[in-house]
Amino acid sequence: MASILFYILGFVMLAATLLCVTCRNPVHAVIYLVKGFFALALMFYLLGAPLIAAWEVIVYVGAIMVLFLFIIMVLELAPREQPQEPGWQRWVPGLLLAASIMICTLLIIFQDPSAASHGPNHFVGPREFGEALFGKYALAVEVVSFQLLFAAVGAYYLGRYQPRRRNEEDQT
Amino acid sequence: MNGLELIALTPVLILVLGGTALLMAGAWYRQPDPLLAGGISVALAAGLSALLLTPPVQEIAGLFSSTPYARFFTLFWSLSAALMLVISVRYVKERSLPAGEYVSLVLFATAGMALLSSATSLIGIFLGLEAFTLAFYILIACNRHCDLSAEAGLKYLVMGAVATGFMAFGIALIYACSGSFHLPEALQGLAAAGALRPWGLLGWGMLLVAIGFKISLVPFHLWTPDVYQGAPTPVVSLLATGSKGAVAAALIGLFASGPSGWTDMTSLLWLLSALTMLVGALCALPQTNIKRLLAYSSVVHMGTLLIGLLCQTSDGLAASVFYVTVYCIASLGSFAIITSMADGTSEPTDLEQWRGLGYRHPVRCGVLTVLLLSLAGMPPTAGFMAKFAIFHASIQADFIGLALVGILASLISFAFYLKVIMVMFMTDETAPACHPGTTLEHSVLAICTGAVLLFGLFPGLLFDLIGSILP
Repeated sequence: MASILFYILGFVMLAATLLCVTCRNPVHAVIYLVKGFFALALMFYLLGAPLIAAWEVIVYVGAIMVLFLFIIMVLELAPREQPQEPGWQRWVPGLLLAASIMICTLLIIFQDPSAASHGPNHFVGPREFGEALFGKYALAVEVVSFQLLFAAVGAYYLGRYQPRRRNEEDQT
Repeated sequence: MNGLELIALTPVLILVLGGTALLMAGAWYRQPDPLLAGGISVALAAGLSALLLTPPVQEIAGLFSSTPYARFFTLFWSLSAALMLVISVRYVKERSLPAGEYVSLVLFATAGMALLSSATSLIGIFLGLEAFTLAFYILIACNRHCDLSAEAGLKYLVMGAVATGFMAFGIALIYACSGSFHLPEALQGLAAAGALRPWGLLGWGMLLVAIGFKISLVPFHLWTPDVYQGAPTPVVSLLATGSKGAVAAALIGLFASGPSGWTDMTSLLWLLSALTMLVGALCALPQTNIKRLLAYSSVVHMGTLLIGLLCQTSDGLAASVFYVTVYCIASLGSFAIITSMADGTSEPTDLEQWRGLGYRHPVRCGVLTVLLLSLAGMPPTAGFMAKFAIFHASIQADFIGLALVGILASLISFAFYLKVIMVMFMTDETAPACHPGTTLEHSVLAICTGAVLLFGLFPGLLFDLIGSILP
């Protein structure tokens, strides 16, 4: 059961990301990527990592992809013209992907396949996860946090509007 | 993680915390001089602590180590960063780059290099590599008044992201095959993997692709000349030495920790090495921009370095470490000379601007000649000993074909190194005079030239040291 779900989700994920890359409309691409992330989250759940699955939905789908949508809106990248035809065909791939993700989710909810096959100790809970992250891998977390700090510094410096202003202020 | 492990991390802690402190200071004090002086002293302090203070610990949190090998490279990258910051002093002021950000990013990149050279686990390799790559994304693009700099930054970012993807996927496959991130176990797991073995080999191949991007082996070298041309020259001096050298050091460590996994890759590495040397040397011939020329020269050097690794003997590995060290010194010195000739707006990068410059600036052009001859491999310099050791080890390990390709590539390389020397000394004096350079910059040149000549005349000094630190 779990392996069948795994392959279905894998196919959904590949199809969604492929459509995301080939799709010309950036908003549609974001929607397909969101579907890919949902499938990935379910896969993490099947592998016994419910916390990662939740974060995948909260952080990637909830925060990062919404940010992408905002950027597309702010930069006005979305095509302005309305589609010529009603075009129910363009709904088909998205609906199919969404339906298969939905069915997989319902299946997992109503008859938890991985719990049945592997026993209760298989799942890595938040406490265990946190202990590993801030115990065994504390140094790695520190290195990553410094990377994020310097990434923020760089993004601020490179993305700042009107770079010459500060130099002029210094000279006056 | 216990107290001893924390003490063993001191050099990295000094670099990272010092960098953060200078970043904070840069928010209030905009004067570049004190910030750069602070950066130089932080780098020197980290080097000193790696030399004197650090206890040899085999495992720090299962990710890094502070073996003598790791300490040697930590010291070496700290000194390189200090020299790079010394030549940046005038450059940063004249181009009004943000001193606080610049210094802190350089120090963080150095910490990343130190971590990468001392990694004992695939996670450690990934973290160290990403740490300095991330700093370089920003450093390369940090000259905001120059379009080429932004272009170079974007190219490095895209290539780096692709390489990161390859590396993460490769590490995942290796983990799936061997069940361990820790290098010796990961290599042993590959040997005993059974049905999963092809996936593990694919993982190592993808890891090799990512490493190939970073040290610009030939199918993955296309970013190198553009990035070197566009990036600020002091940044290139660290990019060409520290970033490539640290990856090479990690690769040497990989080969030293367990040769069993690499026997399957011998033919692949053979091909990569031969292609890298030949294509690099041939592409360097028509270049008229000295930074692009040095970029292709670095490609050739990384190919030659692979020969030493392929031998998988202790001689070959020692020769590789010697080669990396000498290449870094000569390369840093060459870019330091270009930096010292740059004034506020321009720098002599086109070979037309070097015509007859040997008569206007005889000392610096003489120094550049020595360094280029070292890169080419002429006898009184250390470059000759480095190439000799590599080829000697490869012939002893029965890689005679590869050694012949390497010698052929070295002969082709002579043509483009000598072209620069000819333009400087054997043409009419048509180029305008450049910036005379400051005492600080001249002292960096003196250190690099001195080291190149010292290790060329007394290679035993460095070889004995390397023999005692190799894992």
